[in-house]
Amino acid sequence: MQEEKIVTKEARPGNSKAIVVFKPFGTVANVEVGTLLLDAAQLAGVEVNSPCGGQGRCGRCKVLVEYGEVARRTNPMLSSADESQGYALACQTVIKGDVVLVVPTKEEIQRRPAIETAAEKIALPFVCDWRREPAIQKLYLEITPPSLADNTNDLDRLKRELAKRLGIKDLVVSLPMLRSLSRTLREADWRVTVVLDMRNWLPGGSIPPRLIGLLPGDETSTNLGLAVDIGTTSVVVYLVDFITGKVADTASAYNAQVSCGEDVISRIIYSQRRDGLNHLQRLVIKTINDLITELAGHNHIHADDINEVSVAGNTTMTHIFLGLDPKYIREEPYIPTMTVPPRVSAGDLGLAINPNASVYCMPAVGSYVGGDITSGVLSSGLFQTDRLTLFIDVGTNGEMVLGTKDWLITCACSAGPAFEGGGVRHGMRATAGAIEDIWVNPQNYEPTYRVINNISPAGICGSGLIDLLAEMFVTGVIDKAGKIRRELPTPRVRMGDHGPEYVVAWAAETASGHNIVITEADINNLIRAKAAVYAGLSVLCNSVGVKLADVEQILIGGAFGQYINVEKAIQIGLLPDLPWEKFHYLGNTSALGAYTALLCKDMRAAVVDIARKMTYLELSADNSFMNEYTSALFMPHTNLEAFPSVKRLLYKTE
Amino acid sequence: MPVTVELPKEKWNGKVREITLGATPAQGGTRTSTVTVGGETTLPFLHFEGSIPYRPAIAVEIQDVPPQDWSTTLLEAWDTAASDPVSWAKKAVELGADALAVKLRGTHPERQSRSAAEAAETVKAILGAVGVPLIVYGPEVAEKDNEVLVAVAEAAAGERLALGNCEDKNYRTIVAGALAHGHLVVAKTPIDVNLAKQLNILISDMGLPLDRVLMDPTTGALGYGIEYTYSVMERLRLAALMGDSMTQQPMICTVGEESWRQKESKVKDGVPSLWGDFAERGPLWEMATAMALLQSGADILVLRHPKTIKTMRETISKLMSS
Repeated sequence: MQEEKIVTKEARPGNSKAIVVFKPFGTVANVEVGTLLLDAAQLAGVEVNSPCGGQGRCGRCKVLVEYGEVARRTNPMLSSADESQGYALACQTVIKGDVVLVVPTKEEIQRRPAIETAAEKIALPFVCDWRREPAIQKLYLEITPPSLADNTNDLDRLKRELAKRLGIKDLVVSLPMLRSLSRTLREADWRVTVVLDMRNWLPGGSIPPRLIGLLPGDETSTNLGLAVDIGTTSVVVYLVDFITGKVADTASAYNAQVSCGEDVISRIIYSQRRDGLNHLQRLVIKTINDLITELAGHNHIHADDINEVSVAGNTTMTHIFLGLDPKYIREEPYIPTMTVPPRVSAGDLGLAINPNASVYCMPAVGSYVGGDITSGVLSSGLFQTDRLTLFIDVGTNGEMVLGTKDWLITCACSAGPAFEGGGVRHGMRATAGAIEDIWVNPQNYEPTYRVINNISPAGICGSGLIDLLAEMFVTGVIDKAGKIRRELPTPRVRMGDHGPEYVVAWAAETASGHNIVITEADINNLIRAKAAVYAGLSVLCNSVGVKLADVEQILIGGAFGQYINVEKAIQIGLLPDLPWEKFHYLGNTSALGAYTALLCKDMRAAVVDIARKMTYLELSADNSFMNEYTSALFMPHTNLEAFPSVKRLLYKTE
Repeated sequence: MPVTVELPKEKWNGKVREITLGATPAQGGTRTSTVTVGGETTLPFLHFEGSIPYRPAIAVEIQDVPPQDWSTTLLEAWDTAASDPVSWAKKAVELGADALAVKLRGTHPERQSRSAAEAAETVKAILGAVGVPLIVYGPEVAEKDNEVLVAVAEAAAGERLALGNCEDKNYRTIVAGALAHGHLVVAKTPIDVNLAKQLNILISDMGLPLDRVLMDPTTGALGYGIEYTYSVMERLRLAALMGDSMTQQPMICTVGEESWRQKESKVKDGVPSLWGDFAERGPLWEMATAMALLQSGADILVLRHPKTIKTMRETISKLMSS
């Protein structure tokens, strides 16, 4: 897009007038050519939303130019698609002649497009020939019954048939399977479907397939697997159809362990109580089983038909899921029991699916870089790229990975719960009633906000907090150190019970009937959280001698990545000031990685390789971290030169 | 055989800002002398490498009310002069003070709790009695600092006082006072390069030109963290010379206050005999602290003892002439 120079009326010879018609009101204004659409609207008494005060920052003053010529200033809030449809930002567009405008009503203003999480949108991140080498294979067999002339035993008879059909020489059969073998074959009249776990089987290889199911009749029309993301806060499951290779459905719920502590450290502490670890394990298994029941109901399937599970979770979640004591994860020198978990049977864990199904957990790098991150590196394609890539997953812990297909380095920093709404007076999770989007008017410091589900606000969620911090900063409600400027002429800035505060919503507007405020202490918590993340990024880059600016793409994963506004995150100095097109949201990279490893046989090996290849940088042992952290405890950063776009915005220079 | 040895020289891009304290009648004040510091283009006293246009200045600390917690060594040295700020000021100038650091301790709410107006009168009286520039400190209680320093700023408009301390938690009112009445400020941060830089940015964001900001990196006395101060000052100065604009402020060190706070300077009896003569110990402690910080880039030393003042004057002269 080429930037069109705005021609102001002073610059134009003569004093030409233009007529502006505002639909649907039918209001007409007679203005000079070169007038801003927003000014024209004001003259005509037409209300156009402008929460950012006409700075071109919010994109909420979109109007449709139905007829006539205007000059638009290029603005990231207006996509080229918008422009080609005739939309313009009223505060960034001037009139060049007679025009007809359509002002959308408030309800018509488009919400920021949410990341599509619907099942049909979840796709494998790259091509893999999973059909040629299925991990789980179902096969319908019609076996010749034994006779006095053919008295081979039942198991060998089954093997003989499989050798004939698949070239399989041997088969692993568990004792429980063996116990039911003879009866099942006969009751089914020797017409059975075998379910084979071919995960580690290679043609001509030495590892035989595992017999995990024997069903009467032809049951080959369905074959399912499960990809699970065990987050500290939420659990997400993908129901995977091994026949189509697609995600048939998804479901998610809070991890029931939340009742035993909100972060991994408190879970570890809880696990040390009497029966604590068992209790935590039962809770997460129950969470998953409930989700399985839900999926089975919605999709009219039998949970028994789920024949393999792939699980991604951080190291603590993986330990608890497997019933391993996580105690030493928390104690220096922070050593987990294992990083590459072995295959386990679903039945042993209590998962309500085919009890012989294999359960594989994604491998970890260390105590604080777990299977959720290796899973993210897998699904983001970071491990296959030539471009210098930074992968960030921010939650309570911020984990980041830098590298290319040749090398990977990773670190974890404790951001604290601020970005999830924790440690902030009116913070909350991103659920109904949370303020998720805020604009502050730079003239009168009045906020405009958007609430999830359009109900009365109950609090502010992580994305709302990032927005709010950025808005207060760029409009001067707070200074670069995060101190509220009490002298501002607005009642919203005041001394509250908990120190200086800014009132986001007055009691009359809120769900609880109390003011929703952000205090200076809240602001400090947020600044500390963003500083930890940015300092981690800086140290990670410095450790391998690259500059943040050299990073060619930044991939944002994790739940957080779905809602974060890159522009605002840069303004507060949470993310580096790089061109927006370098940032990519990937959604739930952890679950996607689990799905990828479930479906593509060689990706299971690839993720183990990724985990082994990643170098772990321990920030608590890095003496430059504190210096980087203090340097980042400022907005956007003590070194403003590292944030050129924010500098331009603050000092209004081009 | 004579051998010519080329001294290796570092080439720096940056320069410390030149800052002038005090204004003469021609400049809108009433001072008979002003103090300019800064302007260095090299590390301390490396005259062969760059320019050091101004000698480090000595500011002598005086208080508006007789100090209650000072070492007897100090009280004996100043004797009756310390009973009144005007006589104290005159005596300090006689002893060679380039500037005076006036601490308005009497305004402290838990001391005499003198009013802002009284404090302003004291400052006016000192300004009337001596011709050197003043650095004026409030009681170091945020609310009262603001009240007192704003009154002083107004009463001494145009004098180019340095008002202190601005800290990250409390700088806006003091900076506003300095802005409105033509003064300078002292920006104090707790021994950290980043924090020093951040406060300079915050102050500059309010519109106060950076040639009106002194930075106090916080002094650790000999034996009480001097190595931290030394290292942070050195890093600040290196950053300044490397061209980091927000670290190019001249540095002021409150050497007297910190070294006289310590047991070695204050306690006469019940200490090991190895500690030596009590009367000499305090001044020596102050000198050793001042000497080290001079070498790490101090532009203004705030001193307390007459002996230290004399020794440091001589030392600075020698260091500047070589």
